[in-house]
Amino acid sequence: MPLTPRLPSPAFRGTRLAALSAAALALAGCQRDEVTHAKVPKAGPEAAAPGMPSMPPPGMAAEGSPGVPPPPAPADAGALRWTLPKGWTQSGASAMRYATLKVPLPGKVDVSVVVLPGPAGGELANVNRWRGQIGLPPIDEAALSSARKAVASKAGTVSVFDFTSDGQVKTRMVAGLLSAEGNTWFVKMVGDADPVGTARPEFIHLLESLRLGKAD
Amino acid sequence: MAKPIKNPVWGALASMKLTIALLALLMVLVFLCTLAQVDLGTFGAVAVYMRSFLVWWHVPGTAYSIPLLPGGALVGLVLAINLVAQYLRIPFNRANIGLWLVHAGLILFVLGEFVSGAFQVDSQMAIEEGQTVNYVEGKDLELAVVDVTDAVQDEVYGINEARLARGGVVDLPGSPVSLKVHQFFRNAELTNRRPEDPPTPVTMGVGTAVSVRPLPPVSRDDDMNRAAAFVEPVAGGRSYGVWLVSNVLGAPQSFTHEGRTYVLSMRPRRQYLPYAITLKKFSHDVYAGTDIPKNFSSLVRLNNPSRGEQRDVLIFMNQPLRYDGKAFYQASFGKNDTLSILQVVENPGWLLPYISCALVTVGLLYHFGTRLRRSLKRREAADAEASQRPAAAQEA
Repeated sequence: MPLTPRLPSPAFRGTRLAALSAAALALAGCQRDEVTHAKVPKAGPEAAAPGMPSMPPPGMAAEGSPGVPPPPAPADAGALRWTLPKGWTQSGASAMRYATLKVPLPGKVDVSVVVLPGPAGGELANVNRWRGQIGLPPIDEAALSSARKAVASKAGTVSVFDFTSDGQVKTRMVAGLLSAEGNTWFVKMVGDADPVGTARPEFIHLLESLRLGKAD
Repeated sequence: MAKPIKNPVWGALASMKLTIALLALLMVLVFLCTLAQVDLGTFGAVAVYMRSFLVWWHVPGTAYSIPLLPGGALVGLVLAINLVAQYLRIPFNRANIGLWLVHAGLILFVLGEFVSGAFQVDSQMAIEEGQTVNYVEGKDLELAVVDVTDAVQDEVYGINEARLARGGVVDLPGSPVSLKVHQFFRNAELTNRRPEDPPTPVTMGVGTAVSVRPLPPVSRDDDMNRAAAFVEPVAGGRSYGVWLVSNVLGAPQSFTHEGRTYVLSMRPRRQYLPYAITLKKFSHDVYAGTDIPKNFSSLVRLNNPSRGEQRDVLIFMNQPLRYDGKAFYQASFGKNDTLSILQVVENPGWLLPYISCALVTVGLLYHFGTRLRRSLKRREAADAEASQRPAAAQEA
């Protein structure tokens, strides 16, 4: 019986064609680079990603330079305490927040307390990040000095910044920054401009009541 | 008339019953996928039901999963084979040109979905008024290591989630720095460390004061993964400590090696573009006297120095900017109408559905046209025959 090469059956030809096509497509899909490299011009402050949750203030490398031991987490004696204004309520720690405060006003207002070890990126970087979160451009050291207001408290002097966004619907942010016992505390109120403006005097009273130590 | 098929397998694949069964299966998958979007989100549901070969069901209380249904990819593949098999059965002659075109269009349509599944990249560009952006960001995350030493430009290295998940040592090309990935969490809860928390491997940065608790990944549209990783930069044989990086930690952390400063941050995966887009104005028009949106539009300036191109483009609903293989759609807005969010779709097969629809339309028109012509001819012949019959009867 002569041995002659046989062409695959039509069924096999079809299956093989489909399998090869699928394999080629799958391979192409996997070729997206795992490590990319690009040279890009220096950028300004980044826009906060849409849909991202409210982020705590950043920590940068300054406090974490090689050879410097990390600061301890705030112990009870070094923890921040405050007196709540009348009608305000407080919920405990959640995720990266040390505390979340509720303001008894209609409208969108969020008050958060966050602590990070060390200088946590520094005052200017944090202030510019906050400004970026409400769509304002960054400022330099000179403008930072004029924007800063000092509020005295038993825990130390709190640097207070007050910014209002542009746009049709205005967002306002009042933020206090306190360095104490190797940690940086961020007490921030942000939301619709009207209720934030109404709550501002009580928020400043809260900053004045800041103290270090065990819970009352 | 269709050609007869001797091979039983090929005959079964060319069966019209199989076509009906596959179309019914697709309808079931579309229905289930729509329901699943409530829990899995759009992308998650599409990945599970439509872009998979099998739909798996996790048996509760066990570590096992069993295949429940064929996935959209498998149904599509068999449908493509089925269409090809039917295509080859149609004798190629003038009368069947319409059928050939229709089948070719349908096959192209199914293949187009495979091309989209393999090549389509969805990302977005968030851009504020006055801001210039030269990158798009994906839904996935990356660990960015940025050499910020140079005053004019940054060297950016991006390591994607898949590479982080594999662990081990990641070399940064053209750089003395390597990253040892100790652990990666696709999703995690980050909290302030409490005294009773277990020890952390983190020795540097703000992560020393943070506890990480793994969570199952999420895919819902209104939720996001809080990824985290313990990474150890190593350069010149020296370790720079173990750092916690996470997209929840926000701002980057950095270390300095031989005078060069490297910033670490977890962020949405970026693709840098050879051109830049500046948002000149975002408009959110409402109907007079109401808050009902009438139109959203972004007036942008496109600047591509490599082509010497600089022009203004108005992007508004259903009117994207198509440029360099990408389509920029108006998708959302924020920050009191000062931020515009553009959905960016890159799909080399975006024309295939249009071509397939055109083929099907032309094929159907041709087919029905020839049938109509044939039918009209038959009727004319019948009428002529009928008109001749009485005359013949009279003559008889």
